[in-house]
Amino acid sequence: MIEALLVFLVLALFFGMLLGYAKIKFKVEGNPVADQIDSILPQTQCGQCGFPGCRPYAEALAEGNSEVNLCVPGGHEVMIQISEITHREPKEMDASNPPPEEPMVAVIDEDICIGCVHCIKACPVDAIVGTTKMMHTVIEKECTGCELCVPVCPVDCIDMVPLMKTPQTWHWPEPNANSLENRS
Amino acid sequence: MSHLVEHKPLKHRFIEWLGRFYPMAKRLLYHFHGGVFPKYHKSLSNRYPLVEDFIPELLTLPLQQHLGVATEPLVSVGDRVLKYQRIADTDKGLSAPIHAPTSGTVIAIEPRILPHPSGLPGLCILLEPDGRDEAQALTLPETPTSPQSLKTLVHEAGIVGLGGAGFPTFAKIPDQRGCIDHLIINGAECEPFITCDDQLMKQRPEAIWRGAELVAQALGIPRVLCGIEDNKTEAIKTMTQAADGLPAAAQTHTDFQVRPVATVYPMGGQEQLTQELIDLEIPSDKHAIEVGVLMMNVATLAAIADAADEGKPLISRYVTVSGMGLNAPFNAHALLGTSFKALAEKADPKTPLTYPLIKGGPMMGISMHSNEVPVIKTTNCVLANPPEDVEPAMPCIRCGECMDACPIQLLPQQLYWHSRSHEYDKVKDLKVFDCIECGCCSFVCPSHIPLVQYYRHAKSEIVRIEKEEEAAELAKQRHEFRLARLEKAEKAKKARLKAKKDAVKKQAAQTTRQSGDASAAAAKAAAAAKKAAAAKSPQTDQTTDSSAPKTAREKAIEAAKARAQKAAKKADDSPTDNPAAPEDRAQVKPADKRKAAMEAAQKRAQAQKNASADSASDKAARPAATETESKRDKRQAAMAAAQKAARKRQQSSDNASENTDQSSRVDSKIPAASPKDKRQAAMAAAKKRALKAQQKAQAQKDTQAPSPDTED
Repeated sequence: MIEALLVFLVLALFFGMLLGYAKIKFKVEGNPVADQIDSILPQTQCGQCGFPGCRPYAEALAEGNSEVNLCVPGGHEVMIQISEITHREPKEMDASNPPPEEPMVAVIDEDICIGCVHCIKACPVDAIVGTTKMMHTVIEKECTGCELCVPVCPVDCIDMVPLMKTPQTWHWPEPNANSLENRS
Repeated sequence: MSHLVEHKPLKHRFIEWLGRFYPMAKRLLYHFHGGVFPKYHKSLSNRYPLVEDFIPELLTLPLQQHLGVATEPLVSVGDRVLKYQRIADTDKGLSAPIHAPTSGTVIAIEPRILPHPSGLPGLCILLEPDGRDEAQALTLPETPTSPQSLKTLVHEAGIVGLGGAGFPTFAKIPDQRGCIDHLIINGAECEPFITCDDQLMKQRPEAIWRGAELVAQALGIPRVLCGIEDNKTEAIKTMTQAADGLPAAAQTHTDFQVRPVATVYPMGGQEQLTQELIDLEIPSDKHAIEVGVLMMNVATLAAIADAADEGKPLISRYVTVSGMGLNAPFNAHALLGTSFKALAEKADPKTPLTYPLIKGGPMMGISMHSNEVPVIKTTNCVLANPPEDVEPAMPCIRCGECMDACPIQLLPQQLYWHSRSHEYDKVKDLKVFDCIECGCCSFVCPSHIPLVQYYRHAKSEIVRIEKEEEAAELAKQRHEFRLARLEKAEKAKKARLKAKKDAVKKQAAQTTRQSGDASAAAAKAAAAAKKAAAAKSPQTDQTTDSSAPKTAREKAIEAAKARAQKAAKKADDSPTDNPAAPEDRAQVKPADKRKAAMEAAQKRAQAQKNASADSASDKAARPAATETESKRDKRQAAMAAAQKAARKRQQSSDNASENTDQSSRVDSKIPAASPKDKRQAAMAAAKKRALKAQQKAQAQKDTQAPSPDTED
């Protein structure tokens, strides 16, 4: 009788300590679902979802406080991925606000720019260089095409233009599978 | 060695005989997997003599004729250039310089359609030949003896892989001597129609061997193998003879051999020829160099020989002009930059060349978007095949022919299904990047599915997705950095404000203790606050980020705050508090009023705290103040609060242009405040309009906004 009690006491202590150790050792930092969503979001930080950046939207989704179809630049594919991660029903994207067909970058008309630094403050990725009363310019490589700098410009000197296509950035088009091929 | 062709083993002859009835039996003749046996049509262009010294009316020289970075022009429009003159080069990365193919005038440097599947234009130097073909004096380089000197020689001569890939040759050459066991000379030329390498092997076998000798000497290569398909009997003969004629000194160090190989497509692929000649399969994750194999095209070696022995840079190459649409196909020793059309027209087309010409052979060739595209360093063939009716693609019947034909043993069918359903990660796992796009699978497909198109698309999609992910990661990092930076700046600002408040408190306490007169103390405290603010601001600018200098504005804000605090402290004992003065109500929005009221209340609370903490002297001084004074103070506090609110509102609408000088003056002239505020707002609006007008922006700003705090 007493042996059994002792054995179980020891076992309970052992497993309790094991669990306690595991809790400390394998503690999950942050919200893994939010991380997962954040990794598939396009990271344009455009705020079109209503959240101040991609990370806050991912966190809201992880907590279930937001719709799955708010990421405009991500489009349909990202929506599907989000609904898969969050195990929620996919929802149609807002048709009135389609994602851009091709990647766009902001371009500052340097003749018009008055150097007001408004766009520099608006840029979520610090892709605009310039200083007060000096001409500003966009670092094309860093620009995510979020368009946040366009409305704040007091002289409307920022335009969104599609990225220049060069033979290096060109991609092979998809062969259009014709009706005969699709019969399978 | 020609006996190898004439006297094949009995087994080979039997298989060839069997191949008449069952073509796939020919697959037993070679070592790699798959392969196909298209109709070769090589005699079309082979029976005519080589066309040389053809100088067209215009040469179009794209600045990028190789893999890597585009070159930059070294000449300008209107310059006269001589043959062999270097006209474009760059040191920004992997590239090869471009030399003038003949003497003439640069008439333009502008974008022209490139011989590239995209059909996109790229910068080209347009050279109008003068017909005199005046050459620049050539300097003979030293014979390369080390890998470095060979690399320099090859780079200076602008030599790239002339087989088709266009990889700059110098980058392919290893840095160390002795790490290459086999130099393989690629003379297989497996694509149908193309005979330019065949022609070169017949015309200039000595140059090819000389090039091989130079490379072997410089790199210390013990064995040089030249693989030639056995349908080029004459080339095998001339090459074998030339190999025997190599200097004995070279032959003692290196073993030079000609190896006839089976005629099968794609024998000319690097992996295939290596496997065939030395029975070595290059691993998927390794370069040929890493396994001790260096492969060079016959034309590349001939170009190296020319560069080393005569100092000639690469300005021309052998090009096959062939196709079913031409009456007199030929091989040409064409100058780089000659347009496809000019060459095809020379071959007497059967019908007008309204259809697109093809760059390369029928298996891997790419039809051009314009027939005016030039011959570049990698162009081996101009093919004029009139368009035939393309058989419509039918559903995949899962016959597995493509799998049998694939020379690198991929699973073309799986690749096809996954590419079609855009499952690019699976396509990548199936090693789509090992695909050499040889077109064997499409060739054998009974359903005529353009399989290679799918793989090409999948490859570029994978690259695009990877690039996008990279860009997203970069954007994320930059965004996070920005957030961290803003937070830091915010903290620094708060700390600064707190320090300032403490300083003001201290000052006020000291001054009130020193003098019993309340009004004097107030004046002094205000002065001290201003001083403190002025002293603090230069420091604070250093601590915060440098997004916008705002010392003047900050000073003003601090001064105003200090004043407001002071005033609130004075006015705190009055029973009825009306934060917004009646004359200001009209223009202050309800929300702002509330804000102003809250702020004023906060200030009062602070002041009360101060007062209780301070001293009785302050309290003693207070009764001395008259009724009118306290009333005035109250109004003053309200004014300051309203001003602050107004300023806030202006800031929020991104048009802040408050005038600190004015606001400080407003303090003493209370009645004038509201019209001034109005004026200020009007000024801001006017300024905005002026900015929008763009033209007068500068002038307007100068006249209307002399204050230092317009930058926001």
